[in-house]
Parts: sequence; structure tokens; C-alpha cells
Amino acid sequence: MSKRILEDSQTATEIVRAGLKRRYRAEKRFRIFGIAAIVISLLFLVILFADILGKGLPAFRQTHIRLSVFFDPDELSPGTLDSADFHGIVKKSCRTLFPEVAGRRRKKALYKLVSAGAPYEIRKMVVRNPSLIGTVKELWLPADDELDMLMKGAISRDPDGRFNVDQLAWIERLEDEGRLRKQFNFTFFTAGDSRDPELAGILGALSGTILTLLITLLLSFPIGVATAVYLEEFAKENRWSDFLEVNINNLAAVPSIIFGLLGLGVFINLFGLPRSAPLVGGLVLTLMTLPTIIIAGRAALKAVPPSIREAALGIGASPMQTVIHHVLPLAMPGMLTGTIIGMARALGETAPLLMIGMVAFIVDIPRSFSAPSTALPVQIYLWADSPERAFTEKTSAAIIVLLIFLICMNASAVYLRKKFERRW
Amino acid sequence: MTSLLPIILVILTVIGFWLGRQRSRKVAIVAGGLDRLHSRPVYHGALTALWCSLPVAFIYGIWLIFEGQIVTSLVVAGLPEHLQSLPADQLGLVINDIRNLVVGNIVSQNIDATIIAAADHYSSLISISHALLAVAMLGLVIIGILLVLSRIKASMRARNQVEKIINILFLICSTVAIFTTVGIVLSILFEALRFFQKIPLADFLFGLKWSPQTAIRADQVGSSGAFGAIPVFTGTLMIALIAMLVSVPLGLMSAIYLSEYAHRKARTIIKPLLEILAGIPTVVYGFFAALTVAPRVRDLGALLGLDVSSESALVAGVVMGVMIIPFISSLSDDVINAVPQALRDGSYGLGATQSETICRVVIPAALPGIVGGVLLAVSRAIGETMIVVMAAGLSANLTANPMQAVTTVTVQIVTLLVGDQEFDSAKTLAAFALGLLLFIVTLILNIIALQVVKKYREQYE
Amino acid sequence: MKRKLLMLAAVVMMMFPAVMCQAAARDYVSIVGSSTIYPFATVVAEQFGKSTKYKTPKIESTGSGGGLKLFASGIGVQHPDITNASRRIKKSEYEKCQKNGVKEVLEIKIGYDGIVVANSKKAPRLKLTRRDLFLALAQEVPNPKGGETLIENPYKTWKDVNPDLPAIKIRVLGPPPTSGTRDAFVELAMQGGAKTFSWLAALKKNDKNKFKAIAHTIREDGAYVEAGENDNLIVQKLEADRDSLGIFGFSFLDQNTDKVQGSWVDGVEPTFDNIAEGKYPVSRALYFYVKKAHIDVIPGMRGYLVEFTSEKAFGEEGYLGDRGLIPMPKAERNKYRKVAVELAPSLSAADFQ
Repeated sequence: MSKRILEDSQTATEIVRAGLKRRYRAEKRFRIFGIAAIVISLLFLVILFADILGKGLPAFRQTHIRLSVFFDPDELSPGTLDSADFHGIVKKSCRTLFPEVAGRRRKKALYKLVSAGAPYEIRKMVVRNPSLIGTVKELWLPADDELDMLMKGAISRDPDGRFNVDQLAWIERLEDEGRLRKQFNFTFFTAGDSRDPELAGILGALSGTILTLLITLLLSFPIGVATAVYLEEFAKENRWSDFLEVNINNLAAVPSIIFGLLGLGVFINLFGLPRSAPLVGGLVLTLMTLPTIIIAGRAALKAVPPSIREAALGIGASPMQTVIHHVLPLAMPGMLTGTIIGMARALGETAPLLMIGMVAFIVDIPRSFSAPSTALPVQIYLWADSPERAFTEKTSAAIIVLLIFLICMNASAVYLRKKFERRW
Repeated sequence: MTSLLPIILVILTVIGFWLGRQRSRKVAIVAGGLDRLHSRPVYHGALTALWCSLPVAFIYGIWLIFEGQIVTSLVVAGLPEHLQSLPADQLGLVINDIRNLVVGNIVSQNIDATIIAAADHYSSLISISHALLAVAMLGLVIIGILLVLSRIKASMRARNQVEKIINILFLICSTVAIFTTVGIVLSILFEALRFFQKIPLADFLFGLKWSPQTAIRADQVGSSGAFGAIPVFTGTLMIALIAMLVSVPLGLMSAIYLSEYAHRKARTIIKPLLEILAGIPTVVYGFFAALTVAPRVRDLGALLGLDVSSESALVAGVVMGVMIIPFISSLSDDVINAVPQALRDGSYGLGATQSETICRVVIPAALPGIVGGVLLAVSRAIGETMIVVMAAGLSANLTANPMQAVTTVTVQIVTLLVGDQEFDSAKTLAAFALGLLLFIVTLILNIIALQVVKKYREQYE
Repeated sequence: MKRKLLMLAAVVMMMFPAVMCQAAARDYVSIVGSSTIYPFATVVAEQFGKSTKYKTPKIESTGSGGGLKLFASGIGVQHPDITNASRRIKKSEYEKCQKNGVKEVLEIKIGYDGIVVANSKKAPRLKLTRRDLFLALAQEVPNPKGGETLIENPYKTWKDVNPDLPAIKIRVLGPPPTSGTRDAFVELAMQGGAKTFSWLAALKKNDKNKFKAIAHTIREDGAYVEAGENDNLIVQKLEADRDSLGIFGFSFLDQNTDKVQGSWVDGVEPTFDNIAEGKYPVSRALYFYVKKAHIDVIPGMRGYLVEFTSEKAFGEEGYLGDRGLIPMPKAERNKYRKVAVELAPSLSAADFQ
């Protein structure tokens, strides 16, 4: 009897041993699959980032051109600055640099090297410091976007291309005289949208995004958490709760553009809220992110072991106390994950904003929730569609800013999550 | 002033909370210790705070809704006869002028004395209304606080009341989702019905040809104009399928590796990195797909002797799959983490290797959650717009070849809605019909999926 | 307890957005409409905003149809003041304006947009005719063997269409049927090509509808690729694929002359001057529409109109020309400038006869 058991166990051990090698191999393979999956995913990330950084980084530096500007007292007098011809002043400075240029067409080609924003910059200077009038100053003024592209090598110096022979010769002379240089592009961070790439900035879109997301976060997080808690912990299992659940899951699958239609139909047409406002954008994005947050929140609540609840209930806590004091804190990491994903989605969403008028040209920087504004992804979409070449690089630069924004959000949420995370 | 009110309200709420708690402590001391109270002082505080903030918030909301209307109608009543008799729309413009004047904005050219007088009237009304509101709010707060404070007793069931209120708030929050659905249905249903008046439902559902080439202008006679949704839907499904083929293995394996094998430190770095993939705006993916991936794939195809379209479903699907990886990995990671360690320990104790434990114990245990995550991802893939707009093109081909160009429902919705055609044409309305159909399809899919999850759900301990 | 406080805070915070939703008065011009005119209107708006005390107008890119719908929905601050359109307003749209109280609508034509057929600069430049375009892109073409019958388009390469053209596959990236650019292309290029067949031209006189159905239907077998409204993307795809042709607005060609080249159509190169002089056959007019009732009520309306119709903007040497807008002849410019300044005449039903 005992011998048989011994034999049996011996054969069993042998069987196990025989399969051991194969099983370890399988184990190893499995592990390699896991690593490969992560490496591939991260590789995509790296390629994407390299692509965007390669295209966008040059946009943070902008070509400037040095002109000696004469603040002509005949043109400028402190009282009449509004009507003064600053364009003329810039043109005159160009002419003093190249006195030999004659003819309407050639002159126009020369003026094209300087940005259309230069006169406004000079005007700003004079307004700030009227004592400049009557003096001659060497100023670094923004160059035209095409010249900027040329300096960055995005446009070739082919005389049949974007620049003609004259212009190329002038540019060469400017370079020799050290009148062209690249400097940090402050405008990009301090200006609103513009149709001139060298004057365009993202501050307007950025503040629009911040205002929109603020509303989204303030609304969707509390409502999402409350709904998740209600459905998971308090709602009785009946038709109503089933209906709610199906409904929420379904909303998560509704294409974002349809939320845009909802925003248009309900918030703008029915409630009469203003078009292009961060308020409406925020509300639409709230409705769009809610299902994501609710579903993730419920999953997180589900993952809290029943023993926690039982223990709390066992020592006399009410269901509400159990949930608020014990279950919710434990589920918070998962809920934060869901919120991060939801907010990340809201941050990059373009399609619904299309329907509520946020795809717009807005120069002034929005300061309130009802002021007209765009959002960063919409700005990217708009710039990507602009014919001017320099907007390609601005688009990528705006993407970089958007990604930095995103990474900051993620980092803070990850930090929060790390503080609470727990394994059972 | 108006924007200060909520802040004041918050402060008052906090004061209410503090007062309530103090009061209940005093009551407790009189009654002979904290344990004499039915509810802990915190609940008395919370009850006070709720009683002073909720009614006021309600009043405030009402005021916000009606203030503008009431003030406007009062101002209009004060306007001279000839202005009052204007049609409502033009009156609105006059009011806008008045408001601009009040706020100190730049106004349009001609301002006469009546408008200025009206503006003065307007601003005085506004300040009266603000003052009234402030008084009403403060009064309510004080009444609320006093009411609760006077009722605080040792036997008061403050906790139950607070819990009830919170429960009701939760319930209200959960109905937001319902209202959203109702809103969506209402905002697409009517337009869709108008579409079906022009195009028969059967043609739309079972038509094999999608070609919305109808006339843009009245004097133009359109061509075929076929509105069969089948090629559009097969295109959508093919791209979603390709995306899933990429993202499910990658996402799931990443999640398994991260939660079961990876060092804690590696996990804390890699997981957020993957999540970044989900946050990259879809416009960016679209450009990446169209300009970086598609030409390469096309060249590669040409090298292998394949004819790959530059708007192939393959490219759109793969890039979309990349975008969805973190969706799957992040959510399944959380679920896998939630599987009790005891299950793993039991499996190890029986001599299983780690991969065997994962495949036979952990994954089955986590399956409902994983299926949930995958479903979320599928819905995301179906609803994704910008990537397909840029990389998948608009030609509605009925094909099973992933190298060909296909179109998707969302692409069609966008192009139909943001085009130059007349807004009430069948073309524009087709977008709503597509939206409605998509809505219904995802609804059915979800109901099926939910049943699956429910069937296999297990509770662990 | 901390949690309770948090929750309270959350409840109160939910009210914050409500604070901000008070309808503020509008002190800027609101413009909607065509994405084709968007790049031009925004330049004018920016100039206007920078050089006057008024705020920069807000310009939404909604498409001509969406813009006109918003425009026609009524008078009042919540409705836009101006809409841009890459086609003329339709009778039905005008009637909708009338119905909703938008009685007086000013029509201002701003210039022309050429529609070009372009390919990569690395490939040889094509010299097409409208007949070639029609034969290459129509769904049904006249039977090449003769007779007055139509057959399914059999042409695979440009050489099949016209022996003078190179033997490259027909592959044209163009706008979708929802786009005004496509509409104009079909009407100007394809219809023009169809008319070169005498029996089709005769058909036009007898059965206009049948003719248009033939001339306006683009083939759907993959030779014509609907490439979306993003013209930049088309330019970049052309650069990557030198065998493809693309159809888009002149401004994109103008900005990318180092990457793509415009094909000749009927012996005319698509250049600024050729389009302006009306030699290039495929160009269309661009418009914007103004609500007269909003002028003098919305700050900055008059100024914007004056700026747009000034010689330095839409004139011969104006800054809009630099962006690719083709100016109108002088007489026409004066006519529309007069409309913008005198705010008359408004559109009337007679304009749609």
C-alpha cells in the first residue's frame, strides 16, 4: 500500500520534472512577450515624440532682422500716435539699408522681408517711451515668416522658389552684415492667434483650454465619483440601475462629435449660452468625460474587497460611513486613473468643439468663462490647415506645449495615486 | 460683487459647519459626554452647513436664470414708446447697446440720451438686484444656521439626515447621464427623421452604395446621391478591428508585465508614460498617420509588390490601435492588481509557474474587468474621428482589403456637417441619420457586452 | 471629516460655473462661414483689430452652409453679423433670412479663388484641357468608338485620355462632395470639358438636367480620391506621391510653389495674373453677407466693412492678394466698395431670378 503511494508520487514527480523545462521555457517566452509589448508601445511613443520635437522645436526660435529705425518727428508726435504711419517708418528703414532698390515691384519685394507686425512693435515702443521720437535706433524686429523658414532651411535658396534673385542677394548681404539672427520666440507664449506665423502665439488657446478644462474638472470629477458611488454602493439592483448602467456604458461609446451636436442643440440653442465660450466647451466635455470617469470609478470600487465593507459594517458603521470613510479612499487611486484618462481625452478633443463654434479665429486672450475662445487642440487643427508654411512648425510647437500640459497633469495625478495605491 | 457671493457663501458654510459642531459639543457636555450624542458632532456641523448652503445655492441659481430677464423687461418698460414697439429681435440689439454702455465696452456710433438714460436705469436696477440677492442669501444662511442650531439635541439623528441628503445628491448626480442621453437623442432624432422623409429607411440601412453626390445648389441637378450605410459601417468595423488587433495584445501584455513582473520602480515610470499615449490629441495622431506612417507603409508595400493606398485602412487602424493601448493597459492593470494575492499564492503553492498562474488564475479572475476595458476601447475606436479623417479618407469602398481606402461613420458625419452645402439638404441630414444609427449600434453592442460581463462576474475574498 | 468638507466644497464649487454664465454684452463683430474665405477674413480682422480701438472680430470656420444657417436664424446679439460664403446665397437661404426677420442683407463680393490641378514638382508638369479632366474624372464618358452613347469610364492612365499626356495612372486627390471647391470644380472644369463634345453640348440645350448629371458626376472607382478639406494635407500627400494630382484652392498653390506646380488648363498656367485677368478657366467668386440691422449696433461693423473693401486689402496690390485672393476688376471693386460704404442696395428677391 505505502509502496504504491511512493511509486505514484515518484511517477508524478517525474512527470512534473519532465515538463519542467518546457514550462520554464514557456515562462520565459511569456515574459519576453510582456517586455516586447511594452517596448513596442514605448517605441511608438518615442517615434511620435521625435517626429513632433524635430518639427516643432525650431519654432521656439524666431529670426529677427536688425534695422536702424529713425523715429521721424515729422511723422510722429505724441498726440497723434494713433494715426501715425508706422508702416512708412519701417519701409523707410528698409530703404536706408538698400538705397539702390528702385521700382515699385522691387521695393515691395524688399519690404516683404520684414514682418507685418514690425510697425506695431515700433508703435508699442513709442507709446511706452515717447522720448524716442527724433532719435535713430538699431532695433531687432521680427522678420517675415518666409525669411524665417529660409533661415531654418525649410525653404531652399533656389531662385525659382519662394524668393527671387534680388531677395536672395539682399538676404545674403543682411547675413554678411550680421543683421539677421535667431532669438527666443517670446511672441509665441505671449500672443493670441494671428494670421502671420511670426506673430502667432498660443496664449489665447492655452487660456481657453485652461478655462474649459477647469469647468470640466470641477463638474465631472464630483459628479462622476458621486454617480459611481451611488451605482456601485447604494443603488438597488433593479431595472432602473440596469438602465443607468447600460446608458452610461453607451455614452462612453458615443462619438465625441455627437456630444458636439448635443452642445449645439441644448446648451446653445435651448439655453441660449454664448457660442465659442469655454463655458459651453467645458459643459460638453464634462458630459463627454463623465462616462469614462464613472466606469473607471465603478471598476475601482468593485476592486475594493468586500471584507473591508463587512468589517466596517460589522463594527457598526452606517453604509454611508463605510463607503465614505473606508471604501472610497481605497478606490481613489483607480478613480484618479479614470479621471486622468478622461481629462486627457478632454484635453485633446477637437471634434465636439467644432460644433459649438470654438473653431474660430480669436486674437484677444479670453479672460472669462463666457468670452470667445478656442482651445489648444482646435488651434492645432486651425494652424495645420493654414496655407503658410511656417504654420507647420508652429503647429508642432503647439503640440509640444499641449503635451507638456498633458504631462504636467498626468504627473500630478500619478503622484496623488502613488500616495494611496495598495495591493490586496 | 456677484462673483464674490459664492466665495462668501463658502465661508459662511464653513462657519455654519463650525458653529454646528461647537453647538453639538456643548450639548454633549451638558448631556454628559460625547457618547451621549446620537450622531457625532461632525454630523451636526455638516447638517448645519448643508442647510445653509443648499437653499442658498438654489436661490442663487434661480436668480441667475431670471435676473437678466426681469431687469431687461424693466428696462424695456422704461424705454420710450417708439423703441418699445420694435420687434423683439431689434429690441435685443438696443439692449445690447445699453449693456455695452453699462459694462463700459466700446459702443457703436450713435448713442442718444434715451439710451444713456436706459443704461443708468439698467445699472441701478442691477445694483438693486444684487443688494436684494445679498440680503436674501445672508438671511437664508442665518435662518438655516439658527434653525439647525436650535434643533441640535443629544438625540437628534443628524447622521441619518446628512446621509439622506448626500444620498439624494448622489442620486441627482447619477441622473446627469440620463439627461445626457435624452439630450443626445432629442438633438439627433428630429433631424434624422427629416432625413428619412427624404430617403427611405430601407435604402439607408441596406444600401450597398454610399455616395452623397447630390446637388449643392438649387439650380444644379445632382447625380446619383446614394445613401446606403453598409460600406460606411463595414469601413468603421474594419478599422476598429485592426485597431483592436494591435492594441489588445500589446495593451494586455503590457498590463500583465507591469503588474505581475515589473519592478515597482519600473512600473511607476512606465505606466504614466503609456498613459501619455492616450492623451496625445487625435489630431496629432492623424497627422502622424497621414504624413509619417502612411507614406512609409505605401513605400514598403510597393517594395513587396503590393498596391497600398495612401489612405489605407491599415495605417489608420494601426495608429488608432497605438492610441488605444494605454486604454486597455491602464484599465486592465488596475483590474489585475485588484485580484487578491491569495489566489496567486494558492496557485504558486500548487507548483504553477508565474505565467501559468497568470494565464489560468489571474486573467480569468480579472476577465470581467478586462472585457470592460476592451469594450471601452472598442467604443473609442468606433467613435474616433480625427485620425480617420486624416488617414482613412472619404471614399466609401465596400472591401475587405485593409490596404484599400475606406471611410468611417464619424468621418462622414464631420464632412457632411462642416461642408458648404445647404443645411437642410439630405446630405447634411444624413449626418444625423448616421449618428443615430451609430448610437443605436453601440447601444446594442453594449447591452450584449454587459450581459457577458455580468454572467462571468465573480466576487473575490 | 476631511472628506465631508471636501464634499461640501465640491457641492459649492459646482455653482461656480453658474456665476460666469451671465450673458455678457457683445462688443465684437461675430463672423461665421466658409473655410475658403477664413484665411482672408482673418487677415482683415487682424488688421482691423490692430489699427482701431475696436476689438478683433471673432471668425468661425463653419463652412458656407453652416454659416448661412446661423446667419439666417435671426437678428440679435446671439446671431452672427456676417457670414462668408464660397458660393452665392441660395434663394431658399435668402427666404429663410426673410422669414426669420433678417430683412436687409448686403452682398459683398470680395474676389476670386482659382481652383488648380497640381502635382509634385518632381514630376513633369501636365498640360491638360478641360476635356481631359472631364474624360479622366467623369463617371460616364462618351463612347470613344464614336456614337452618341455613354459608357462607364474606361480610362486608366492619362495617356488613355489624351495621347499627348504621359502614361501615368489617373489618381486625383480632391475635395469631397460636401465642399464648395468640388462644386465649383465640377461646374467649371468638368462641365466645360463635357461641352466640347458637340452632342453633349446639344443635350445641354434640350435636357439640361441630363447633361448636368453626366457632367457633374465624378467617378467612384478609386481614380478620384476624396481627400478631405485639409488642403495642406493634399499638398503633402502630393509631395510624397509624384504620380498623383491634387485639386485645391490657388492660395495653397501660391504658398507651396516650391513643392507643387499647377497644371496648365486649356493652355493657361494657373498664375495670379492669369486668374485675375480671367484667362484661367477654373475660378469662382467669393462673397460675404452682412446683416444691415446690426450695423451701428454692434461696435466695429462699419470699420470692418471699410477695411475689407479698401484698396489696400482687396485691391490690385492689396494684402489679401499676397494671401492668394484674386482681386476683381476695378469697376467691380468700386461697385462693392460702394455697397459697403453706403450700405445699399440690399439683396432682394429679384436678385435670384
